[in-house]
Amino acid sequence: MVNIPKRYLDEILPSYWYNIIPDLPKPLPPPMDPENGSSRIELLQKIVPREILKQQFTIERYVKIPEDVLEKYGIVGRPTPLYRAIGLERYLDTPAKIYFKYEGALPTGSHKINTAIPQVYYAYIEGVERVVTETGAGQWGSAVALAASLYRILSIVFMVRVSYEHKPSRRALMEFYGAEVIPSPSKLTNFGREILSRDPENPGSLGIAISEAIEYTLSHGYRYVIGSVLDVVLLHQSIIGLETIKQMEIIGEEPDVIVACVGGGSNFGGLAYPYIGLRNNGKRFIAVASAEVPKFSKGVYTYDYPDTAGILPLLKMITLGKDFISPPIYSGGLRYHGLAPSLSLLAREGVIECTEVSERDVYRAARIFAETQGIIPAPESAHAVKVVIDIALEAKKRNEKPVILFNMSGHGLLDIENYRSMMIRYGKG
Amino acid sequence: MGKYLVVYNTLGFPSIGRFLLFLKEARNRGVNFFEIGIPPRFAKYDGPVIRRSYSRVKSFGIDVWEVLKTVRKNIDLPLIVLTYLDDHIENLGMFVENLHKLEIDYVLFPDLLIDYVDRYQDIVKEVKDRGLKATLFVSPSMPDKLVAEVSLLTYPFLYYGLRPATGIPIPIDPVTLVKRARRLVNNTLVVGFGLSINDIANVLGAGADGVAIGTVIVEALENSEVNQALKIIETVRGVLDGL
Repeated sequence: MVNIPKRYLDEILPSYWYNIIPDLPKPLPPPMDPENGSSRIELLQKIVPREILKQQFTIERYVKIPEDVLEKYGIVGRPTPLYRAIGLERYLDTPAKIYFKYEGALPTGSHKINTAIPQVYYAYIEGVERVVTETGAGQWGSAVALAASLYRILSIVFMVRVSYEHKPSRRALMEFYGAEVIPSPSKLTNFGREILSRDPENPGSLGIAISEAIEYTLSHGYRYVIGSVLDVVLLHQSIIGLETIKQMEIIGEEPDVIVACVGGGSNFGGLAYPYIGLRNNGKRFIAVASAEVPKFSKGVYTYDYPDTAGILPLLKMITLGKDFISPPIYSGGLRYHGLAPSLSLLAREGVIECTEVSERDVYRAARIFAETQGIIPAPESAHAVKVVIDIALEAKKRNEKPVILFNMSGHGLLDIENYRSMMIRYGKG
Repeated sequence: MGKYLVVYNTLGFPSIGRFLLFLKEARNRGVNFFEIGIPPRFAKYDGPVIRRSYSRVKSFGIDVWEVLKTVRKNIDLPLIVLTYLDDHIENLGMFVENLHKLEIDYVLFPDLLIDYVDRYQDIVKEVKDRGLKATLFVSPSMPDKLVAEVSLLTYPFLYYGLRPATGIPIPIDPVTLVKRARRLVNNTLVVGFGLSINDIANVLGAGADGVAIGTVIVEALENSEVNQALKIIETVRGVLDGL
């Protein structure tokens, strides 16, 4: 493995985030209010920290990272390592070089903290006492719980019920950081009660959990923090790609192919957007979704609600529909029904290639990676690993030597129970 | 050249009589351009105040062409008709010709560069071929390259809407946004969407050549007599002239 020596840290950690919107190939459709009913756009002012809204709608290419946020980034271990996956290369016997940005090195095990910290920071300086959010598999909730504890404010996390029941470690992690974790759908909100009255066994979905978190925020006067989809989240996550550009420069490499998994789009955008906007000279960008949440093959590019109750403004995005619920058997975290509007636009314009991977293939890829590199990838990241393996094997067939870069967006140590259930279903692979 | 003041109102709002009275009185208070909105099927990029004005006008029904004819007859300032391209794309040529026959000066389609960006050059050309000119609308969510490109094609200015919808006071940094646009725009730059008096001074300092006000006017007309809307225009004109 190759890591970058400490003496370069100052050079690697950027002091600005990067916003791709000024460099997109076409205009990004704005959020929209529905034809009838009250203004969802207006309501955002009561939901989201003021400074986050300002960042969302004051679009400029580079946004200065506040000193306090930079300090917290350092506390949690940024910049994260860039490794060369020599073990995997040898196993595949490929002439390709494989690098991965290891966001799993961060304390909660994924990249989500990169936006949790600034969002909670802005809530904190606004004088907010509690932040509220939702979580699917638990990575976003964990990041918010940690960020809230760093700023000594409280956090409340609505966790998709099926994950709440199957991921006790994640729940324990959030509670250890001081969060209150609530299974969604819950009886704490009107929307939750309505869902439960129709279907007491509803396994929950991210769309439902988002709606509950927002309703709870509004009824209590708290502030809501957002895990993915919105431009401001992808702005914060650009720290991943900006660091990687520097790290690759230091070792004298330039990627030919960039791969990352896709739920809402934040880790993909984080790694890929700085390359797409600033260093896009013939590179391939590959977004990998779950075949169990088939937004690329079955999704429609249209205005849809980001949440199931329709409290938030409509966004134009690739979507499976706000009422989509992923199969209960699906244990991965890529369960969101929609895709970030900017990423949806890039996919539609053909700037990004899109593919889907089945859970069985994810499991196999995760095992290969764990056995050759030692790191157990998060199930989400293993979607990217599968595609990286395919590209490397293709390169072997063609005797080509591409430089492949992917985002290891998280580790899978807290998902080991999910892997165990996959082991039971798929055997040794 | 002094700073431009562009004033928006919905055609026929709040009633035809008060609409025409407002235009006549506003004309004498330093307005440079009137922007007149034709109620669309769906005002997708408008905020609640302007949407309400559209609903109200649709509820009592107006003959759009007759009212526009009356406006043209009585107002000698340049007129910009604002309407969604969605409603006219099937009969664009005829629609623009009809505007031209009434001696309307410009047409503005707020959805042109959002929903029809692949065809915008053809559409701008068709408008020009039919005797009118297109006033183009851009926003911060548009790529820099496009903003620079369209700034060369718009008349009499480029309209830069700072917020995602009209009249919703979403927090933004107007100075940063205007500075970004100013670097790209090789034309007169008029800025709008929810500007406060402080914002007006700041955006002009950042390089804007004028401002557009709409929701605040419509709201004033909705809640009270014409005089309140006229006072707002006088105040804004005063700020523009003081800078």
